[in-house]
Amino acid sequence: MATNASGGDKFTRNLVIGMVALVVIVGASFSYFGSKGSTTAAVPSSVSKTDGYGIVFNADVKNVPTIDVYEDFQCPVCARFEAINGITLEKAISDKKAKVVYHTLSFLGTESILAANAAACASDEDKFLAFHKAFYANQPAENAGAITPTFLKSLGTAIGISSAKFAACVDNGGYSDWVRNVAEAGAKANINSTPTIFVNGKEIDRNTQYFNVEAFSKAIAG
Amino acid sequence: MISNLINKYGQWFGLLARIVLGGVLLAAGWLKIFTPAKSQMAVRAYELLPVSIANLMGLVLPWVELGLGMLLVLGIAVRFSAILGGALMLLFIAAISQAWARGLSIDCGCFGGGGTVEPGKTKYLSEILRDTGLALLALYLIRYPLTRFAVEKSVITEGE
Repeated sequence: MATNASGGDKFTRNLVIGMVALVVIVGASFSYFGSKGSTTAAVPSSVSKTDGYGIVFNADVKNVPTIDVYEDFQCPVCARFEAINGITLEKAISDKKAKVVYHTLSFLGTESILAANAAACASDEDKFLAFHKAFYANQPAENAGAITPTFLKSLGTAIGISSAKFAACVDNGGYSDWVRNVAEAGAKANINSTPTIFVNGKEIDRNTQYFNVEAFSKAIAG
Repeated sequence: MISNLINKYGQWFGLLARIVLGGVLLAAGWLKIFTPAKSQMAVRAYELLPVSIANLMGLVLPWVELGLGMLLVLGIAVRFSAILGGALMLLFIAAISQAWARGLSIDCGCFGGGGTVEPGKTKYLSEILRDTGLALLALYLIRYPLTRFAVEKSVITEGE
């Protein structure tokens, strides 16, 4: 039987192994370079590179705790978190009681990238928080094809954004490189779940402080 | 008795082992390659590797699984693929076991997903049992790499 190892069979073997190896190497390189951020990415005006490319509120207010919010617009638990604590966070921002940094991660897929991009476009209109709230209140099912530029622009209209710049920004994915920068920074910061909330660089307690408005208010008081 | 059975049906069982192990690896890779950031998160959540290495592994591992799956399903370099596939399963079993022992609450992230889950929503035992079964299939293929309907038919018989 050993003599059946014909030249043709060996050729097929080597050809297939070569092709599979090529797929693995090309694919892995593609994933690797695709996950790299870009130092030349266009960033929304309220973004701070030193805060992990997050969208920052009250950057200049001194002696208040820093709250980092890591979320993915498609994550259902993030919608639950927003429903419970959204108002508390907004109030902390408007009362200047905290510096709040929103990190719009996109690990759930391409529709998360579209949503994060649109939120950045809204941020340029000073409507990030309104967009954030409107999106979660109307959060579509995960990766169901419902998060489209049309959907995102209609959210913008609903919260009073009428500029052509916003529409173009949503349509063109003007901030999608920035979305990747946020994702890369989140990966480096070892964020393994969404939502993840840090107060002064330390995660609050997932079992007791995330989904209870009193406990959360206390936790973010610093 | 057992060797008779293996003589008679072994190559058919080998085919089954190839399809199951290879199919699972293919699916596991395929379901992760489109969400690399989530795959990175799944590896980080084991809290086993430095963050930068975990992030790299999260990007590369799905492609390796995909490649090994392709080789096994096609029936090319079966022994080599089974050794690597089996080694991966042992690695997964070890990683999941340590997560369980340390009381982490994570999803194995084997087929996409992954990351921290709520306590009480872990499935460590079934994940370990599944990977043990797959490791045993790999072991069988390492011992008996000659199987039915393999693209590569005879090269491996040289050593037998």
